[in-house]
Formats: sequence, structure tokens, C-alpha cells
Amino acid sequence: MNWFFVLLSLMVFPGGLFLLAGGMAYEWVDRKMLAVFQNRAGPRWFQPLADTVKLLIKEEIIPDKVNEILFIGLPIAALAGGLTAALYVPVAGLTPVYSFPGDLIVTLYLLSLLTLCMGLAGANTLDRFSLIGATRTLTQVFSYEAPFLLAMLGPALVAGSWQISDINAYAGGHWLILTQPVGFIVAVIGFMGKLVMPPFDAPEAHTEIGAGALTEYSGRGLAFFHLAKAVELIVGLSLVSAFYLGGLANPLEFLVKTLALLFVLIGLQSLLTRMRIDQTVGMWWRYGTLVVLAQWLVIILVMRP
Amino acid sequence: MNTKQEPQRFVIPIGPQHPALKEPGNFQFTVDGEIVTKAIVRLGYAHRGIEKAAEERTWIQDLYLIERVCGICSHIHALAYCLAVEQLAHVEAPPRAQAIRVLVAELERIHSHFLWMGVSGHEAGFDTFFMYSWRDRERVMNILEKLTGNRVNYSANVLGGVKFDLDQEQIASIRGGIDFLEERTRHYLDVVATDFMFLQRTRGIGVMSRAQAEIMGAVGPTARASNVARDVRKDAPYAAYKEYPVDIILDERGDLEARFEVRLKELFESFHLIRKILDTLPGGELTARMPRKVPAGEAVMRVEAPRGELLYFIRSNGSDKPERLKIRTPTICNLTSVVKLAIGHQLADVPMILAGIDPCFSCNDRSVQIRTSNDPDGRMLSWDELRQHGIDFYKRLEK
Repeated sequence: MNWFFVLLSLMVFPGGLFLLAGGMAYEWVDRKMLAVFQNRAGPRWFQPLADTVKLLIKEEIIPDKVNEILFIGLPIAALAGGLTAALYVPVAGLTPVYSFPGDLIVTLYLLSLLTLCMGLAGANTLDRFSLIGATRTLTQVFSYEAPFLLAMLGPALVAGSWQISDINAYAGGHWLILTQPVGFIVAVIGFMGKLVMPPFDAPEAHTEIGAGALTEYSGRGLAFFHLAKAVELIVGLSLVSAFYLGGLANPLEFLVKTLALLFVLIGLQSLLTRMRIDQTVGMWWRYGTLVVLAQWLVIILVMRP
Repeated sequence: MNTKQEPQRFVIPIGPQHPALKEPGNFQFTVDGEIVTKAIVRLGYAHRGIEKAAEERTWIQDLYLIERVCGICSHIHALAYCLAVEQLAHVEAPPRAQAIRVLVAELERIHSHFLWMGVSGHEAGFDTFFMYSWRDRERVMNILEKLTGNRVNYSANVLGGVKFDLDQEQIASIRGGIDFLEERTRHYLDVVATDFMFLQRTRGIGVMSRAQAEIMGAVGPTARASNVARDVRKDAPYAAYKEYPVDIILDERGDLEARFEVRLKELFESFHLIRKILDTLPGGELTARMPRKVPAGEAVMRVEAPRGELLYFIRSNGSDKPERLKIRTPTICNLTSVVKLAIGHQLADVPMILAGIDPCFSCNDRSVQIRTSNDPDGRMLSWDELRQHGIDFYKRLEK
């Protein structure tokens, strides 16, 4: 009956359905709290689900002169990337389903898949807004990805392992936000860039380029991209709070810590003005990367016996 | 087509339907990467033929039509029209009516500037600012509704006076509202002048020098942010502005930050003026007697709309209808500056520069240019040709 449990863990819990439901729930918290901070009513609790169902029912229009395989395949790849990444992360505070030495690197790359797919999806169409959006998406990847990666490797250095479950266990006894505050800040801001949240929403700035890279998407493809983003929200939150906020040992801890982190993100989203793409790149390469490298240097010097 | 020789251009269309524009207009920005190298504007999507329609209506019917030229500054249009017609008819509205006209005009300025502030914040991707300023704008909308019965087209003017009077309860509610709004404006001024992230998007962006502003004929707060002391309320006081003078707010920086600060500081002038009017409201009649037919002649009236100088030209032939009515709205004066200033800026700054002049499209559309695939440059039609074009068009449809 082993295959049954494998299938269950992939499809229902903690992968698959649970992740989709959890992602949509977190997306709702994000939208609702942002609305409250902005003095709006905000969506009802089932709105993310309703949006998804509606998009799934809608006809998917494939524009002229695009590569159809890519057009249909990229959203699926993006969603698959997010769902796979979740298998190595202590989502819901449980031990990861799969784990092997070095799975941190694999997870981080899987999480980048969404942005990459969005960039390619935009570049695949001929729409002018999509092309500008794709350029901005890919430019943004190159600005935040390296510092984010470095910030996530800081805990790995002190834990002496590149396996997420080991780092999680190590972080259980050490609140790394206190010893590596710079890494935490860079990780949180990099994560906002990853999810194209304001103020890093230049790739999909509505007042400039419509919906950016996803302008030509309707129906199923758009639903998959949205779901992938929701899944990435929950996976990224678990990862950052597992590493920096004293580990995730049980579901209650998971709920408290990830929601607290989400509130920080929502606060930043409501307070800050959108940055231009050149400002984003400038910020990351002038300050973000440098401070995180400086912290690395400190960690290495301190850890040397 | 002579575009074949040119290297391939990447043109970003903004409008006629675009999230950055609340009204239809078309801008074509040629970009090199993110940098704008060329800008073209095309207007006329919301042309409604109001000037022509005004010639078909009586002086009184026109009042209702004119109030609908603009959805935001409806009162100032009606005011300019009334003042021009009164000038032709040699009628002067009583002092109390003039003071109430100025009161409503200043309340309208407050509502318009709050609206603009929110829209600009939205263009910059600062939605919290947008939501908060629009929430506070409701307060002044409520005051206007309480005064006149309407939120948008207040219909405060009649030829020769105003329609409504103020009672003590209304005066108290205006005072309360003004106090609240003044406090909020102080807060917003603090935000636009000190918020680091917001300043990144406004400081040094879209700089228009004084010389440029004068050459391009900029008007209103856009010109005043470039240190051009141009304000009709001061230069040629109309209605009750002689008794209630305002100070001109100037700024010499000429960038978006200056435009934000000038508009917000103007609000303090408005609050001050409104309090003064409420304190010293002259008594007496609300209307003067107005003849049904207006003597022949021509009149020009300039007023300061929230967006800048608004000009009305009226010619009467002595009948009960105007012979010609010409309106020049402030946006058309400021629009050239957008096309000029956008060049060399990033695409991301363009919506901000566009919003910086507080554009209002439907009131400046005066003509429609017909462009077809056979005739890409378009052509001008005379009135008779247009009529014939319409007849032919519908005949073709019938077949």
C-alpha cells in the first residue's frame, strides 16, 4: 500500500489539494488585510476560489503567432514547480515529505520557475504590453534572485547543512532573525520581489502596461499562474519563517509564524510606492547584495573555530 | 508610407482604453528599452459637439448643457458662462450671490484637487494614498450635496445669481468639514514632501522650466509649479474674488513634487477663503433680474478652474440664443507639455507626468479626425462634407 500513501501525499496532503486550498486562504488573508489597511471592504472569504473556478470555466484564447505548446505548457510548469517545491518544505509544520542533502538549492530553483515561466509567457506573445512586462519580469529576476539565494543560504551555513529539514531543526533552537537580521530583511524583501507584490510590481504595473507579461492570458492559463503564485506564497512564507523565525515544529507554530510574517508583508505593501524597474535593480545591486555579502563574511569569520 | 527607411520602432500605445486613463485619449510613446524617445497625442474620442449644440438652445437651456461640459469642474463652467452672459446683458449678480458662487467654486477646487491627488497616487502605484484621499474627498462631496442637493452637477448658478441660500446649520457643517479637511491636507502634504519612496517617483521627474512653461502656454497649478505667476483669480478678479483675494502659490522646481506641493498648498488658500466668506457673507438678494433676450455683442470671460485658466467667448446677435460659444479648457493648454516632457523619461514615469497636469479629456475634445486604413493621415471635413459623409454612411448601411 506504499504507492497509496505516496499518491496521497502528492495529491491531497500535504501536497496537491491542501496546498491549493492553503494558498488560496493565504491569498485571501493578503487581499483582505490589504483592503482593511487601505480603508476598503475587501473580498469575501471564498473570492480566490471563485476567481479560480471562473477562470477555469472561461475560454482560453490562444493569440495568433504564438508557440501553442509553450503558451499552454508554461502555466502548467509554473504551477508544477510551486507544488513540487512544497514537498521539500515543512509546510504546516510537518516534516517534509521528501528530503535529501542539498534539497534547499533544488527548492529555491523550483521557486524561481514561476517567475521564469511568466517572463517566457510574456516573451512568447507579440503583445507590446506583454513584451515590456516580460522584459521587466526577467530584469527583476536578475536583481533579487542572487541576494535572496544568499540570504537563504545564511541559515544553511550556520546549521552546517543544505538540507531544509536539518536547518529547520537547527533553527528550532536558534532564532536566526536575531543573529542574522540583515539576512531576514533581505529574504523578506526578496520574497516580495519574487511574488511581484507592491512596491515591486513594476512588471505588472496596471497604469503603465496593463497586466504585464500575462496580458494575453485568459481562462485556464491565467488560473494556473494565479494558483502558482498562491502556492508560492505559502511555500515561501514557510521557508522564511522556518529559517529565521525559530523553525516550524507543529501546525500551530506554522500558522502563527507564517501569518505574522504575512502581516509584515501586507504592511509593507500598503505603505510603499511602486518602484521603477531601474530603481529596483539599483536597490538590489547597490545595497541588497552588498549587505548580505557582508553578513556572509561576518558569519564565516565568527564560525571559524 | 515613409516608415520603411526608419529602423524598427517599438510603440507603446496608451489609450484610448488604458488603466492609466480615466477618460479616452490616445498617446503613442515610442520607446527604446524603457526610455521614451517620441510622443504623439491624439484626441477627439469624447467629442460631443457641445459648442454647436449650445447654438441651438436658449440662454437658459444652455446653462444646463454647459454644466455638463466637465464632470469634475462643473460649477466653474457654469460660472464662466453666467458671468459672460451677465456681462453681455449688463446685469450684475448681487454680492451675496457672488460670494456663494466663489464659495462653491472653492469647494469644487478642494474636491477636484483631492480627486487628482488620489489618481496621481494610483498612477505611482501608491494605492493606499489613493484610497485615503478619496475617502476624505467624500466629506467635501457631502458638503456640496448638503448645500446644493447634488454631488457632481451642483447646478448652483442661474443667470443673474444663484439658486440657493445658506442657513446657519449648513454654515456649521461646512466649517466642521473644512477643519477636518485642513487637518488631512496637512497630513498629505507631509506625505508627499517627506515619504522617501514617493519622492523617488516625483522628485526631479518631468521638470518644466519657467521658460518652457511660458512658451508652451501652461496654465493653472502646472504653470505655478514652474514659477509662472498666473492665476486668473488674482490677475483679473471675477465674481467676489475682488473682496476675497487669494495668494498665488508658487514653486520654482517645476517637477512633479512641486506640482503636488502647489496643489496641496492651494487647498489651504481655499480653506482660508471659505472661512472668510462664511464669516463675512454679505446679505441681500440672491438673484438679479435677467432679460430673456441678450443684447447683441461679444464677451470674453476668463476664470480659474481647478486645472487652470478657463476661457469662454460668447457672441450674441440679440436673440434668445447665443450665435457662437467657444470654450477653451485648461487641459488643452497643458497637454503639449506632456508630449514634450515625456521624452527622455522612463516609460514608468509617463503615467505620472500625464497625471501631473491633471488632464480632463472630454472637455477639451473639439474635433474628430477620421482615419481609415486607406487614409492613415486622416483628413479634415467641413460641416457640409461631414453632413454628406453621414448621409452616405447610413445609405451604405441600408444596402
